[in-house]
Amino acid sequence: MKVSGAYTIPAPRERAYALLQDPAVLAKCMPGCESLDKIGEDEYAMRMKMLLGSMSGLFEGKVKISDPHPPLTFRLMVTGAGKIGFMKGEGVLTLTPIEDKTGVPQTSVQYEGDVQVGGTIAVVGQRLIDTTAKMLIKRFFETLSREAATAAAAN
Amino acid sequence: MIPHEFEYASPATLQEALQLIADGSGKILAGGMSLIPMMKLRLAAPGNVVDLGRVPGLKQISESQGVVHIGAMATHHEVETSAVARSRCPLLAEAAGSIGDTQVRNMGTIGGSIAHADPAADYPAALLALEATVRLVSAHSDRTVAAADFFLDAFTTAIEPGEIVLEVLVPAEDTSEGYKYEKVAHPASGFAVVGVAVRVKRSAGKISMARIAVTGMGPHAFRDLAAEKLLEGGADAAKAVAVVGEGQETNSDLYAGGDYRRHLARVHAARALAAAISRCT
Repeated sequence: MKVSGAYTIPAPRERAYALLQDPAVLAKCMPGCESLDKIGEDEYAMRMKMLLGSMSGLFEGKVKISDPHPPLTFRLMVTGAGKIGFMKGEGVLTLTPIEDKTGVPQTSVQYEGDVQVGGTIAVVGQRLIDTTAKMLIKRFFETLSREAATAAAAN
Repeated sequence: MIPHEFEYASPATLQEALQLIADGSGKILAGGMSLIPMMKLRLAAPGNVVDLGRVPGLKQISESQGVVHIGAMATHHEVETSAVARSRCPLLAEAAGSIGDTQVRNMGTIGGSIAHADPAADYPAALLALEATVRLVSAHSDRTVAAADFFLDAFTTAIEPGEIVLEVLVPAEDTSEGYKYEKVAHPASGFAVVGVAVRVKRSAGKISMARIAVTGMGPHAFRDLAAEKLLEGGADAAKAVAVVGEGQETNSDLYAGGDYRRHLARVHAARALAAAISRCT
């Protein structure tokens, strides 16, 4: 399944790029992330508890960052497996500065990728996968925007 | 499959039920038409299940001062066949009658359905078009939330931990207005691939009030204010339905892609509108 979209982060491009590479920030922003531990260069082991309405599932997986071209673009790979299914997602994130009108530097983060989901959750929840994936991505970027805003306020 | 182990409580009063979920850990069981299948597939594994089946007084459907009160535990069948609902908020009764299959309508409840907030559920479109409100109670609070502020996202509502949906409040429809709920039912599940609820009032041959709400198309149901405004401003129906769903996010799955869903929303908004207008008196 293809996913794509764009979100605006209230931070200059260099700062937005750094936030997206910071494991502490990623751990905070990924919905349900319980732990994110470094296991190699740009590679992390992740545990996340996905909660969606009454559905819940524990996933263990990996997050890997590759092809970094700071502060323009990088490739993100996320894999996860749990009792209710598995997922694998890969995509490219591209950062573009937004014309500054308000005096607050902003960055548009565009993502384009492919998500595969299998197991029980895919068999019975096919009609919900797209909606769910989009919602999780939205939650991620909303939290990231708040992070960027608080970080900027603290400086 | 057999669900994970869980604690089951069957309180006899609302107060007892509210105490049981006060710490936010308990999962409410209403009709069980969504929760039980998910538990059996182990997609949901709540530690505590609080069954509202024995709590009295949650099934009543009555009217007072122009507002129809529908108890959260009223089943879809009860809403569909209630004399009060059929005469005072017939749009809701019509939507209830189109939900799932006979078994689901006999067991599933309005409170359970809206609390679950499936993006393809039928009630949200009707409740938005009716400008209904939802009454939520907890051990120490009692508040009402407008339907438009209740359905926040897929499976996400304004219900806070510790709260129970007590009843749905629907302002009674005017007897002169026309209404229609039109849906494209998924052939396997009966869920709305797209569902459109329409209400219209006419005076002097013109549309004086229009409500259009769409479910199934996006992550949550929404009212299409732009289309309503066009209709109320005298635009013809074709022009108004052409903007339905504009700028809204869409869902897509193997059965229907996002653009197709938007297209369905417009086609069925046109049909629902025509039917609603023909029902105006």
